[in-house]
Amino acid sequence: MLEYVFILPLLSFAVAGVIFAVGKWLPIKGASAGIAVAAWGFIQAAMLFVKAVRGSIALPYEASIPWFSVGAHQLSLGVYVDGLTLAMLLVVTTVSLLVQIYSTGYMHGDPRFKRYYAYLSIFTGSMLCVTLTSSMLVFFMGWELVGVCSYLLIGFWFEKQSAAYAGKKAFITTKLGDLGFLLGLLTLFYAAGTFEISAIMEKAQNGLIPVALAGLAGILMFLGAAGKSAQFPLFIWLPDAMEGPSPVSALIHAATMVAAGVYMVARLYSVYTLSPIAMDVVAWTGAITAFMAASLALTCFDLKRVLAFSTVSQLGYMMLALGAGGFTAGMFHLTTHAYFKALLFLAAGSVIHAVHTNDMREMGALRHKMPITYVTFLLGTLALCGIPPFAGFFSKDEVLVAALSRSPFLFALGAMAAAMTAFYMARALVMTFHGKPKDAHKHDHAHENPLVMTIPLMFLGIVSVISGWALTRHEIFEHLVNFEGALPFELHHVSHSTVALVSSLVAVFSMVFGLWLYKSRPDIPALLREKFSPIVNMLEKRYWLDAFFLKIVAWADSLSVVLFSVDFNFLDQIAIDGWGWLTIKLGKIQGWIDTYIVDAAVDAFGTITLYSGRAARLAQTGIIQNYLLFVAVAVSIFAAIAFAG
Amino acid sequence: MSLLSLIVFVPLAGALAILAIPKTKIKAIQGFGIAVSSVCLALTGYLYAAFDKTTAGMQFIEQLSWIPAFNINYFVGVDGLSVALVILTALLTLVSLIYSLNITLRVKEFFFWFLLLEAGMLGVFVSLDFFLFYVFWELTLVPMYFLIGVWGGPKKEYAAIKFFVYTLFGSLFMLLGILALYFNSAPHTFNMIELARQGSLLPLNMQIWIFLALYLGFAIKIPAFPFHTWLPLAHVEAPTGVSVILAGIMLKMGTYGIMRVSFPTLPAATKWFLPFLIIIAVINIVYGAFCAMAQKDLKKMVAYSSVNHMGYCMLGMTAMTTIGFNGAVLQMITHGLITGSLFLLVGVIYDRAHTRDMDAFGGLAARFPIFAGLMIIQVMASLGLPGLAGFVGEFLCFLGAFESWPYYVAVSTIGILVTAAFFLRMIEKVFLGPFNEKWAGLKDMNARELIAIVPLAVLTLAIGIWPRVCLDWINPTITYLAGLMK
Repeated sequence: MLEYVFILPLLSFAVAGVIFAVGKWLPIKGASAGIAVAAWGFIQAAMLFVKAVRGSIALPYEASIPWFSVGAHQLSLGVYVDGLTLAMLLVVTTVSLLVQIYSTGYMHGDPRFKRYYAYLSIFTGSMLCVTLTSSMLVFFMGWELVGVCSYLLIGFWFEKQSAAYAGKKAFITTKLGDLGFLLGLLTLFYAAGTFEISAIMEKAQNGLIPVALAGLAGILMFLGAAGKSAQFPLFIWLPDAMEGPSPVSALIHAATMVAAGVYMVARLYSVYTLSPIAMDVVAWTGAITAFMAASLALTCFDLKRVLAFSTVSQLGYMMLALGAGGFTAGMFHLTTHAYFKALLFLAAGSVIHAVHTNDMREMGALRHKMPITYVTFLLGTLALCGIPPFAGFFSKDEVLVAALSRSPFLFALGAMAAAMTAFYMARALVMTFHGKPKDAHKHDHAHENPLVMTIPLMFLGIVSVISGWALTRHEIFEHLVNFEGALPFELHHVSHSTVALVSSLVAVFSMVFGLWLYKSRPDIPALLREKFSPIVNMLEKRYWLDAFFLKIVAWADSLSVVLFSVDFNFLDQIAIDGWGWLTIKLGKIQGWIDTYIVDAAVDAFGTITLYSGRAARLAQTGIIQNYLLFVAVAVSIFAAIAFAG
Repeated sequence: MSLLSLIVFVPLAGALAILAIPKTKIKAIQGFGIAVSSVCLALTGYLYAAFDKTTAGMQFIEQLSWIPAFNINYFVGVDGLSVALVILTALLTLVSLIYSLNITLRVKEFFFWFLLLEAGMLGVFVSLDFFLFYVFWELTLVPMYFLIGVWGGPKKEYAAIKFFVYTLFGSLFMLLGILALYFNSAPHTFNMIELARQGSLLPLNMQIWIFLALYLGFAIKIPAFPFHTWLPLAHVEAPTGVSVILAGIMLKMGTYGIMRVSFPTLPAATKWFLPFLIIIAVINIVYGAFCAMAQKDLKKMVAYSSVNHMGYCMLGMTAMTTIGFNGAVLQMITHGLITGSLFLLVGVIYDRAHTRDMDAFGGLAARFPIFAGLMIIQVMASLGLPGLAGFVGEFLCFLGAFESWPYYVAVSTIGILVTAAFFLRMIEKVFLGPFNEKWAGLKDMNARELIAIVPLAVLTLAIGIWPRVCLDWINPTITYLAGLMK
């Protein structure tokens, strides 16, 4: 059945076309077709996953067809499937399916419903390309395509200026990172002579790629990952991306696309592990991102933005694990996070669908109104905070173990981020679901959503509870997603149980503290806000990163105006039209010379002739005596000369 | 008469035949003009099918003695470098004529000049005799002068004369270069293939001067910095269909000339000039993109984006590798398709709103979904979205150039970012946000416009997904050419 796995992305693209073309005649305006394909993909992925766990299929599997050739280089389209692929495949297909089911409720009645489903299918297809491809070139193509889908879906409600702006911001910011990706890809091709993942891995493992080039390629490509996976300092786009519909946030901006950067680093682990510098760049960027983003979530009042910053922070965790050499840990966290963060976004979407606001200050006390949403949100929160035995506990623990075995500072950043995570999630939980209703009107109109929306929530709730435990049983995940090969540095020995104990204590304490603070003493946060207003200000300004990038944009804008002005005023008007002007002037001068000198000279001859004629005419008196006198004078002069000689 | 001669002379004969139709019979003129260019496209379709993809050499050769005293021949043929450009010319001409059916002013002359232009452009791409090449090259100038000058925008006369004089200035230097090559060959010949064999034997000094003379002619056409300033003016003033031809075909005559003549004929000079050429390429890419970002006028923005895109093409050419050359040729084709459709789409909105000022619009996507959809597809193709044609050419140009010029390539990537920025800003201003009710009365695209643009969009997608529809034709010749340059 692996032979047919290439059909999955093709089917998604095809169904997008079908929805565009004939969607309005299909059940649920074409959503049924999208869901059917997503369901089929999910079944395939799940079966493959189970088979791979059981060991009944041979991995890695690779197959490709020639795509095109330039000179001697043959580029191909194909699939490369190993444990890593299957883990990602399962995540993508599951979340895609659930989000598409959920969206039939969430997007019900939207005038562009059909288009929404077509976009989702294109996205899923592109994401499957990224997941399954055997070539880094196709990986890059899928990578760019998911970016465009993200652009289109963030700006889905484009009549809203902020949504249109957010889409553009996301696209440009990730494109900035993608310049790095492109250059990294070129470097990789230069070093390895191929885009084929298996060939690159083989060359890297056999030492055929120079360390410096591997490091350079790794760091450059990581820039792309920093854009897509919202790492410092490029994470500025993700909070704004929350302008898109909530299910989109769950699918693209929590579970799949933003994880693509992490997946890329894991995919190319044999390149990264060649270079300790590249590994350190990944690890430290991840750790800083995890810490910064967690701190930014502390002061947010927009429920989705809290989750967005949380996503950034958790992506930082994954990068931290990868850079510290814990590839399996990073991918494990990617997997569990995809489920519980998708759950949180869908639950948040359910809340927003009910109260029509994102602002937590207008929510409160929704737990009785929306019990299913509340319970599932709670499960997601517990999983995210790393409370045992929920999913996040297992994966976060592994990440922290990896961090500590590399460096205590990485661990410290990670642990602080974990503490903040538990705190802000407790805050969000209380502000949204507990306490008193802050907006009576909105509270009165709130109600639990239909089953198409709550069933995906319940499903993901269950997964969030058990996936951590289930995937660590018999070390299923570790066996499936394993990374062979040496790391470029020594790891410290770390006691797993100590880390587990510390991390769960930190999480529990911080969560309980948060719950207590916002439930029993809501006056204190307000007081703290006032006391630490410079810090709060810094957080609300997002460490001035947005301002920094806007400054660059403004600078580029002025540069463009200056360059264009040079182009028009100097290069065109002076350097080119100047010749024209000069030619005309020269022409005029020549014309003047022609008229007043050359022609005048010619005319002068005429004039001279004329006047000499006139002068000569004076002698022509017509009186015969005069003529005789002239003759006599002339004869005497000649005679005088002749005789004198 | 061989296939290539038919392809060139069908539009020429058509142009002359149009003169015989009374000018009041507008429908007949339009129908006949479109029929002629359709026949021409069909012939190139046959050329595409009959072309032997396994050989690098010239095909469909026809050689007749023309002016024996000077050894001037009527000598035509195509190889992988030119075949796609021939087809693109026929396609874009037909598409532009279909779009131009809305022209009501002096229809007869319009079609006459347009078909004459087509014959000239096709002649340039199939000529293998340098004298013939020059004749066709100059033949394109006159129709273009009238097409801009009569049917253009408010500053049409200025634009037309500037275009004409500027290009003529360049082609005179080209003529000097041609004559220098002619008189340095023994026996004297204008045969491009023979010149390529002999030119490389010339001393470096001589090669450099000839290269420079030819380059001036070609660079103005491309247009390479700093000779690009005629382009925004001419593109903006020209009527829509003519802008398509200008950007889609005529710019490629420059890059084609360099690859067809300058590179193989003067390899030593090419190497000597490479450091200079790569800098020009990078300037075209980055500077062109920044200039485009400063524009408020949609058409001018697209025009400057052409400067940027031709920069990618030059980047691929300076790579001197098979990958880069393939990328450059593919970029010529895809830029023709993509920018051609962008000009048509700008024409669509200008015909309705009579303005091209981006700030005048807003929220059009909600009311004009077909127009917005096509525009977004082509904009995405232009900014190099994978899956659409622009990506493959651009990527191959970068990939090819990276080995020799990594730092220049790194700087060039700024152009990609800026291109994305100005195109997305345009989309945001024109299509997104709240709908500007001023345009509530406008209608979405009509059949004429769709017939012109949709085929280009389909091809954009097809080449993006399956580049072999172009690359298989291009690759053998290019591999051979790149081998020559090693």
